[in-house]
Amino acid sequence: MTAQQGQAIQPAPELTAPRPPAADAVIRAEALTKRYGAVTALDKLTVAVPAGITGLVGANGAGKSTLVKILLGLLEPSDGRAAVLDQDCARAGQRIRTLTGYMPEHDCLPADVTATEFVTHLGRMSGLPPTAAKERAADSLRHVGLYEERYRQIGTYSTGMKQRVKLAQALVGDPKLLLLDEPTNGLDPAGRSAMLELVERIGNVFGISILVASHLLGEVEQICDHLVAIEAGKLLRADTVRSVTRASRALVIEVEEGTELLRDELLRRGLAVAVEGRGVTVGLAGDQTFDVVRDAVAELGLPLNRMEQRRHRLEELFSGDQPAAGVTSGGAGDVR
Amino acid sequence: MSAEITAAGAAANGAGVIHDIGYQAYDGPRLGRAQIMLALGWHSLKSAFGIGRGAKAKIVPVFTFAVMCAPAVVNAIQLAVTGTHTRVVPYDTYRPVALRVLVLLIFLAAQAPEVVSRDLRSHVLPLYFARPIRRADYPLAKLAAFVAACLVLIEVPLLVLYVGTVTQVRTGSAVWSETRALIPGLLLGAAWAAVAAALGLLFASFSSRRAYATGSVAIFFFLTWTLALLLTSIGEHAFGPGLQQPSALARLAGLISPFTALDGMRQWLGGTSPGPVPDPGGYGALYGIAVLAFLLAGAGGLLLRYRKVGVA
Repeated sequence: MTAQQGQAIQPAPELTAPRPPAADAVIRAEALTKRYGAVTALDKLTVAVPAGITGLVGANGAGKSTLVKILLGLLEPSDGRAAVLDQDCARAGQRIRTLTGYMPEHDCLPADVTATEFVTHLGRMSGLPPTAAKERAADSLRHVGLYEERYRQIGTYSTGMKQRVKLAQALVGDPKLLLLDEPTNGLDPAGRSAMLELVERIGNVFGISILVASHLLGEVEQICDHLVAIEAGKLLRADTVRSVTRASRALVIEVEEGTELLRDELLRRGLAVAVEGRGVTVGLAGDQTFDVVRDAVAELGLPLNRMEQRRHRLEELFSGDQPAAGVTSGGAGDVR
Repeated sequence: MSAEITAAGAAANGAGVIHDIGYQAYDGPRLGRAQIMLALGWHSLKSAFGIGRGAKAKIVPVFTFAVMCAPAVVNAIQLAVTGTHTRVVPYDTYRPVALRVLVLLIFLAAQAPEVVSRDLRSHVLPLYFARPIRRADYPLAKLAAFVAACLVLIEVPLLVLYVGTVTQVRTGSAVWSETRALIPGLLLGAAWAAVAAALGLLFASFSSRRAYATGSVAIFFFLTWTLALLLTSIGEHAFGPGLQQPSALARLAGLISPFTALDGMRQWLGGTSPGPVPDPGGYGALYGIAVLAFLLAGAGGLLLRYRKVGVA
């Protein structure tokens, strides 16, 4: 909440933030392949991730965690090579782990120590001398929004607070790059947006490059500059978020009755329309689309239930289909 | 909570957030791998004695340490009260031997899980492995720390015994002979600590559940110890050519348990105090090999165990 409010009174971060130059890639993979026996987790993945916040999107099992482990030098690739901050992952793992903070997907916190003790200890494990570890642990916990609570045992924390501790321990060693694996895992909607704001702030205001692995495109597009989409270990797409999502913005309209009428009216007004379940989806070209929809609904006198910008679906991104073209099948929600 | 209020207040005033002085990069020194391992070892050594934990975590370490010191304290009191100058507890076997075994067993079963199972249970290992150490560094630091903990438990009572005796003797030659008797005792104690710590950690590291870890450590040491004594006893009384001449079974039975193997090695190396197993005689070298095998199995098994732990 603090980060959110702090953010609200500041100018838009992209105007003031000291962004690292985007010319150099922080992560490079060349024909990176990882096989576990017969299973291929990564399949000749070639990608360069620039500085800034990058989303690594893919369904569960797409190879996101495998990629992160190879980047940390914890797994040997079967073939190909990867480099983080110009250090080879297979040979300079130790150096990379000095420069990188890692937040795992799963629960990784002991219940019976305080957040301060825990993050201080992991600061020592990052190579900080005792005093520096203490100071940076306090700073990191403050940056993630844990104040007096940090003297309490972690076992008493909510899921949101635990996620913040996990983020603080990644931040304690002053990394140049953060690898965050599903940072919003297990959080409620409010917790999710608070965590996303925090990540965005760390990336944009603190100037630390971040790779966020997530299966929720809707989250990633909110905070990321770049997007890397993988499926079954293969690269699907790597691009700026702007260019990936511009084409696929969509508006869902739900009316109590007369869905067919609305569809026909919107078609008449020149919008690309698809009927999905109880709602109608139109391609969102800009603010004028809202006006067109409003006028159409008003003219027909239909009871409007809901109108919202829809979260994008991974399938759409992957297939390159635009939802407004009417090819999406009805009903399915986010790929979870 | 107060921070939220502060932030909200600051927002209302249109000022910056007071608490937030912005992110500060770290330009200070960074410690190398060896020093990180040292820090991890020191942290683990403290946790082996419940330091930095609650009062409950200190019960077993304090209790076992006190009991282990008891013979040494009794010796000191006895010498002071009776005015005799003859030590009543040997340095190398530290009688009663069963007391040392039992106390060590309790310490291992209770504290080895404290050192390794906690991290397994909370899945914190990926956080260690994502830091600038190598995979084997973690078990090595844990092993070194637990050997040190066992050293404290075994050697400090020997030193108490030494001090309690030396303060009662009058002549320099007596002090010298006490010192000469102490040194093999300390060396043997180090062997006990290394073997016990390695095997204790190995068995504790198989389970993230504390109860199972404690159980497997206790069962391993207790069963092998009991079995070795049982077989020795059978070998001495049932098959032996005579009570003065233990049979091969009695001479070999001690090999199955780490503690009896250590005692066999002591006698092979020239220890003369009576121990839990008879003098192995010609089989002595086997006891040396057995102790080495126990040590390597424990340490090697621990390293292998942590190569298999998932990283994320």
